[in-house]
Amino acid sequence: MHDHDHDHGHDHGGHHERPASQPELRARALEALLVERGLVSTDAIDAVVSYYENDVGPQNGARVIAHAWVDPEYKARLLSDGSPAIAELGFAGVEGEHMVVVENTPSVHNVIVCTLCSCYPWPVLGLPPTWYKSYAYRARVVAEPRKVLGEMGLELDPDIELRVWDSSAEVRYLVLPERPEGTDDLSEEQLAALVTRDAMIGVARVEAPASARP
Amino acid sequence: MDGIHDMGGMDGFGPMIPDDANFHAEWERRVYGMARVTRVAGIGSGMFRAAIESMPPAEYLAASYYERWMYGVERRLERDGTLTPDEIEEGMARFATGPLPERSDPEMAERCVALQRNGAPMEAAAAPRYRPGQRVRVIRMRPAGHTRCPRYVRGAPGVIERVHGDAKLPDAVARGEEAPPEALYAVRFRSEDLFGPGEEPGFRVLVDLSESYLEEGPD
Repeated sequence: MHDHDHDHGHDHGGHHERPASQPELRARALEALLVERGLVSTDAIDAVVSYYENDVGPQNGARVIAHAWVDPEYKARLLSDGSPAIAELGFAGVEGEHMVVVENTPSVHNVIVCTLCSCYPWPVLGLPPTWYKSYAYRARVVAEPRKVLGEMGLELDPDIELRVWDSSAEVRYLVLPERPEGTDDLSEEQLAALVTRDAMIGVARVEAPASARP
Repeated sequence: MDGIHDMGGMDGFGPMIPDDANFHAEWERRVYGMARVTRVAGIGSGMFRAAIESMPPAEYLAASYYERWMYGVERRLERDGTLTPDEIEEGMARFATGPLPERSDPEMAERCVALQRNGAPMEAAAAPRYRPGQRVRVIRMRPAGHTRCPRYVRGAPGVIERVHGDAKLPDAVARGEEAPPEALYAVRFRSEDLFGPGEEPGFRVLVDLSESYLEEGPD
C-alpha cells in the first residue's frame, strides 16, 4: 500500500539531500514552533501517525466483512446498526462513530464517496488512498459513476441498480461486498484475506482465489 | 460557502489515476499527526473543514491534499493566536535545515492514541419531521459560511432513505452558534433529477442532509 512512498528519511541534514520543498519547509516550521513552545510533543505526532499507518487499516474492515459472510446473525446486526456490530470485533473510534454498512447483491451495487472533502471510515479502512481524495473521483463518481468505475477496472451490467453514497455529514459508510463463488471451504481468516479496501469502498469486487476459479 | 471544494458533478479533472498511497512524503505524515495532536492538545480553534474551505479557489486546486490540511491547521492556530503567519515564515527560515527540536511526552502520546479509539455516537432522532419513503426537496441556498449541502442536490426532489439520528447543523456550528440537534437523513435522488438524462443508465445518489436543508417534496 505504501509503494509510492520513497521519502521516509528523517535526517534532513545530509549534504547530499535534495532541497526541501516549500510545503516541507512549512511543515518543519510548524512542528518545530509547536514543539519549541511545549504545545505538542514529537512522540505524540509519531504515535498518532503510527496508529493510523500500522494499527488501523483495511485489514480491520476485511475481518468485519468475512465475519458477516460466515455468520448470518452478525450480518443482520451489521446491516441494521453498523457501529455496535463493528465494535464487537474491537474496531471503533474517530471517523467511525456512526457507521452504516450497505450490502452489494447480484442486483444492487453500492459505492462510497465524499464529494466535499475526504470523509472515510478510519477505524475499518485506515486513511484514504490518494485516488479517493482526488478531484476526479470526488467530482465525477456522483455524475458518471459507471465511467469512473470502468476506468478503475469494474464493469457493471446496465440493469444493476447502482447506488452512490455521498458521505457529506457525520455518517461513514462501508460496503459489504458479495462473497465470491467457490469459497465455501475457506475459513473466516482465509475469506478476510480476499477482501480488499477497494471492494469495501465499492470500486471493485472481491475476487475468488485462483484455486476456486473455474 | 459555495467554494471550489464542493466538486460533485464538476467536469475537467481528467481520468482516474491509480494511486493508493496514503502519504507521499514524510512531511505529510507530520501534518496529519499535527492535525490530530493539536486537537488533543487543545490548541487552535474553529472547524477544520471550514478552515480548509476558506482557501482561495486557485490555491485549493493547485495544492496537494496535505498542503490543504496544513492550511487548515495553520488557520486554526492563527485563529486562537497560537501562531501568526509571520512566525511561520520566520520559522521556515530558522528550521530550514538541520534536526528539528524534539520533545517527549509519553502521557500526551498515549492520550492522543487513546482518543482516536473513542467517539461519541449520534443520538437517535428525537423528533424527525420526515420519515423513510417521504418525498422531500432540497432547498435552494447561497450560504455565506460552511455548509454540508452540496450544490448538485439543491432544488432537487428526493426521497428519505433513512433517518440517521440527531446532529448539530454544521452551518451553525461553524459560525460558533449554539445549534440544537436536528435530524440527519440519507436522501435518495434519481440521477435524472440531478443531472438530466445522461449517457449512463439511471442510478441513485444518496446524500446525508440535515433537516434544515429540506422541505416537503412534490407529490
